[in-house]
Amino acid sequence: MQNENTAKQGTLAAAPTAKPGSSESDDFTPRYLEPATLTFTRSEVGAPRLEIRKEACYLRVVVRRLMPLSDPNQYISIAADEDTEIGILVNPSELDSKSLEILQEELDKRYFTPTIQKIYRVKEQFGIHEWEVETERGRVTFSVRGLNQNIKQVPPARLFITDVRGNRYDIPDYRELDAQSYLHIQRHL
Amino acid sequence: MSTAETPTGTLDPIPDLVKVTLNKLEIRPEQIRFAVQSDVNAAGTYGEEWFVLTDAAIFTVTGEGEVLHYIPYENVLGIRAEAVVDAGLLVLETETGTVDLIRYSNGCASKFGFVARFIGDEIEFRKGKRDEAPIWDYKPEEQFCQSCGLLLPDEFSPCPACTKKHKVMLRILSYIRPYRGRAILFMLFVIAGTLISLVPPYFNKILIDDILLLNDPTVAVQETSGTRLGNMFRTIQPAAVALSIAVGTLLTIQIIREIFTVFRLRLGAWLTFRVAANIRSHVYQHLHNLSIRFFDKRKTGTVISHITEDSERLQDFMLEGLSFLAVELLLFFGIGTALFLMNWQLACFILIPIPIIVFGAGWFWKKVRSLWHRAWRRRSKLFDVVNDSVSGIRVVRAFGQQRSEVNRFADANIDARDYETNAELIWATYYPPLMFAVQLGSLIVWYAGGLNIIAGSMTLGTLMAFNAYLMMFYEPLRYISPLINWASRSMTAAERLFEVIDSQPEQFDDGTLKAMPNITGEVKFHNMTFGYDSHKPVLRDINLHVKPGEMIGLVGHSGAGKSTLINLICRFYTPDSGRLEVDGEDIKEIDLKDLRRQIGVVLQEPYLFSGTIAENIAYAHPDATMEDIITAAKAANAHEFIVKFPDGYDSEVGERGGRLSGGERQRISIARAILHNPRILILDEATSSVDVETEKKIQQAIDRLVQNRTTFAIAHRLSTLRNADRLFVIEKGKGVECGSHEELMAQKGIYYKLVETQREAANVRAAAQAVER
Repeated sequence: MQNENTAKQGTLAAAPTAKPGSSESDDFTPRYLEPATLTFTRSEVGAPRLEIRKEACYLRVVVRRLMPLSDPNQYISIAADEDTEIGILVNPSELDSKSLEILQEELDKRYFTPTIQKIYRVKEQFGIHEWEVETERGRVTFSVRGLNQNIKQVPPARLFITDVRGNRYDIPDYRELDAQSYLHIQRHL
Repeated sequence: MSTAETPTGTLDPIPDLVKVTLNKLEIRPEQIRFAVQSDVNAAGTYGEEWFVLTDAAIFTVTGEGEVLHYIPYENVLGIRAEAVVDAGLLVLETETGTVDLIRYSNGCASKFGFVARFIGDEIEFRKGKRDEAPIWDYKPEEQFCQSCGLLLPDEFSPCPACTKKHKVMLRILSYIRPYRGRAILFMLFVIAGTLISLVPPYFNKILIDDILLLNDPTVAVQETSGTRLGNMFRTIQPAAVALSIAVGTLLTIQIIREIFTVFRLRLGAWLTFRVAANIRSHVYQHLHNLSIRFFDKRKTGTVISHITEDSERLQDFMLEGLSFLAVELLLFFGIGTALFLMNWQLACFILIPIPIIVFGAGWFWKKVRSLWHRAWRRRSKLFDVVNDSVSGIRVVRAFGQQRSEVNRFADANIDARDYETNAELIWATYYPPLMFAVQLGSLIVWYAGGLNIIAGSMTLGTLMAFNAYLMMFYEPLRYISPLINWASRSMTAAERLFEVIDSQPEQFDDGTLKAMPNITGEVKFHNMTFGYDSHKPVLRDINLHVKPGEMIGLVGHSGAGKSTLINLICRFYTPDSGRLEVDGEDIKEIDLKDLRRQIGVVLQEPYLFSGTIAENIAYAHPDATMEDIITAAKAANAHEFIVKFPDGYDSEVGERGGRLSGGERQRISIARAILHNPRILILDEATSSVDVETEKKIQQAIDRLVQNRTTFAIAHRLSTLRNADRLFVIEKGKGVECGSHEELMAQKGIYYKLVETQREAANVRAAAQAVER
C-alpha cells in the first residue's frame, strides 16, 4: 500500500512508516491515505468510524478540509482526535459510496458556513444592515454591523459576510448571482 | 444530584408542540430543568430543535415534536460544546460512546457553551470532584437597546436610534458654551454678511433703470422702477454724479461685505479649533479610563481613527460646512422672498427646474460618491501592495520575486485606474446636464421676463436683478445633497466620538471601592473561571493560594491560559465566576489605582515610550530623583551599558526603543519595574529572545527584582524558573499540578514531560554546537 502511495505522489522518496496516531512521530513526511483501503461506518450512537484495511480502526475520527475555501472537495485531513492526524485523503470521490456519504456528512457538520444563493432584501438602519437571503441551508435573516469591517472580499469576487451573532456567510462569486441579488451587492459594497 | 441547585424557568420558552411530546413521555413541566432552542436541525438546515434537561434525562426534540435523542442523565460521562467552522456542536460522552447531540449556529454558541459548562460542572460535582454545585448564572450578552429593542452597534455603544441627530448637534453646541459670546458674534456676522449680499443686485437695478437707461437718448420711454431710492437717484443731476454715488455705494457695500467675511472666517476658525480640540482631549482622556475589553473588541487602528479622523471630519465640517450651510440657507430663503416680492409671477417660473435640480443633484451625488468611494478603496489597496512589498523588500529579493511583485502591483494599478476612470467618466457625463438644469431657470426667466419688458410691464433693471438673484438662489440647491451628506457623516463621526465618551469606564473610584495603599501581596484564586467570550472559558476552576513574597512559575503549553491568568491579576478583566482575592479582599472591591500602583510588569516585548532612558525608567514616578534612577538601573544591570552611550541617561530611545537591542530594552524595563517597587510582580517571558550572556545578566537583575515580592513568572525555558518557590501547571485552562520542581518531577506528570522534552531539545542543541566546533 505504501508503495502504491509513493508511486502515486511521485515526489515522495521515502514512504512514511510511522504508526498513525503516535504524536511523537519524528517522521515529517505527510502520509497520503489510499481511498481503496478506507471504510467509513457509523457506530451505534452515530460516531464516524474509520477502518484502514489490514492496519487499524478508529472509533471517532475528525475530518478537516485542508483547503476549505479553494478546494473543499479534495485534500481531506483525517485525524484520530483533535491533535493526531492519521493521514491525508486527496480525492474522497474514490471512496465507496457509503463511506463517501459518511465523510460528506461529517464534513458538513464541521463546515457550516452557509452559501448565499439569492438575496431578497438588504435594509439599512443606523448602520446596521439587515439581510434576507436564501442559502443551501434554508432562508435566513441576519444583521450586519458596519459593512466595511464585516464583509471580507477575497479576490476576485468572493465575499464573506459576518453577522452580529458571529455567523459567517459565503458568496463564492457575486458576479454569478441573479440580477436582483447582484444589484443588492452593488448597492451595498 | 438532588443537592445541586436547580435552575428555575427555562432559557427559551417551549413551544406547544414540544410540550405535547414531553407530555406523551409523561414529563411534567415542573420536571423540566431547562430547555434551549437551537436554530439548526440535525440535517444541517435552518430549523428549530430543542435541547431539554430534566432531573432524569437529556433529550433533543425537533420543532415538530419528534424525539431525536433520549439519554438518561446517569449515563452521561461528560459534555462539551465543540466549536466547528462557523457553527457549534454539543457533544456528549456516554457509556456507549460519543454522541453528537445537537447542532447550532454561532448565534447560539453562547447559551450552549453555558449549558455544557453547567452540566459538566454538575457531573463533576456529583462524582465528588468538585466541592460546590454549579450556579446557574447565565447572562445573555446584552446586544439590544433596553428602551427601543434595537440591535446595538456594539456592546459599549449607546443606542443610535435613541441618540437623535439633533441631540448630537446640541451636544456639540454644548462644547461651544464656554465661548458663547464669540459664537453669537459669529452668527451676527453670518446674518449681516448674507443680508449685505442681497444688496448689490438691487443696486444694479437702480443703476440700469434710474440712471443709465433714463439718460440714454436712444431709449424713448422709460418706466420708473417705482422705488423710493430709485426716484431719489432720478432727481440727482447731472447723471454722472448719480452714477458715481451709486457705484460708490456699491463699492462701499462690497468692502463692508468682505470685512464681514474676514471676521466671520476668523471667528469661525477660532471657535472650531477650540471646540474640536476640547472634544478630542475629552475623548482621549476618557479613552484611558476605559476597560481593556473595549480595546479587545476594536482594532488599534479603529481606536486611533476615532480620535484623529472622526474629530478631523467633525472639525472640517464645523469650519467650512457649518457656516457654508448657514450662509446658503439664509441666502436661499432671503433671496426666495426677495424674488417673490419683486415679481411673484416671474418667481413662479423659477420654481419649475427646482425638482430637476434637487432630485438630479441628489441622484448624481449619491452615484458619484459611491463610485469615488470604490475608487478610493482600490487606491488604498494599491498602497497596501506597495507597503507590503517595500516592507518585505529583503524577502522579495532573497526569493527573487521582483517580477511577481511588479505584476501584483500592475494588477492592482490597472484595477485602481479603471475604477477611477469610471468615476470620472460618470462625473464628466452627468455634471454638465445638471448645470444645464440650473441654466434652464435663467432661460425661462429671460423669456418670460423679456415678454414682460416687451409688453412694458417690467423694467430691464428688474429683469437683470432678478437674474442675478436667481443664480444665487440656485447655488445652494446644487450642493444641498453633498452638504446634507457631509453634515450627516460629520454627525456620525461626532456620534462615534461621543460613543467613546459614553462607554462605561473602568471602575476607578465610585466611592465604594476599598482603598488599599499597602498590600502584602497575598493572592488567592478560588474556583475562578474566566473567558474572553463568556461562553468559551479560557481558565476553569482555578484554585491557588499564593503567600506574600512567594514566587510562582506558571507553566503550560502556549494557549493554556498563563497570560490570561496574569491579565486577571492586573484586573484588566473580571472573573466570570469564582473569586480572585488580593490580601483577602475580592479584587473587584479594591480601588484600581491602589491595586495597579502595586503591580509591576516586565513583558517579553517591553514597550518603551519615546523619550530618554531616564524618563522611561521613571515612567511611573516622574518625580523620582536621579539617584533613584541610577539605583534602579544598577540593580537591573542596565547602568553598565547606559554609561557607554554618548548621551548617557539622556539618550533618546527612539520609536519603540528601536535603537536599543532587545536585551537592553529588557533591562530598562526591569529598571522601570524596580523603581516602581511593586508588591506583586509579573514577569511574562522576560528572558526569551536574548542571547545566553544577556540572559544571564537579565536573570541576575530579575533575581534582585523578585526579592520580597509576590511574583508570577511565565517562562518558555523552564530553567529560568529554577528560583520559583512553586510551579503552577496549567493545561487547557485548568490548574493540573502545583508544587516545587522536585515534587513535580517526582510526580512524573505534565511538568515532568515538559522538562524532559526541553532537556532533549537542549541536548540536540548542544550536540549540534559540538559538531559545529
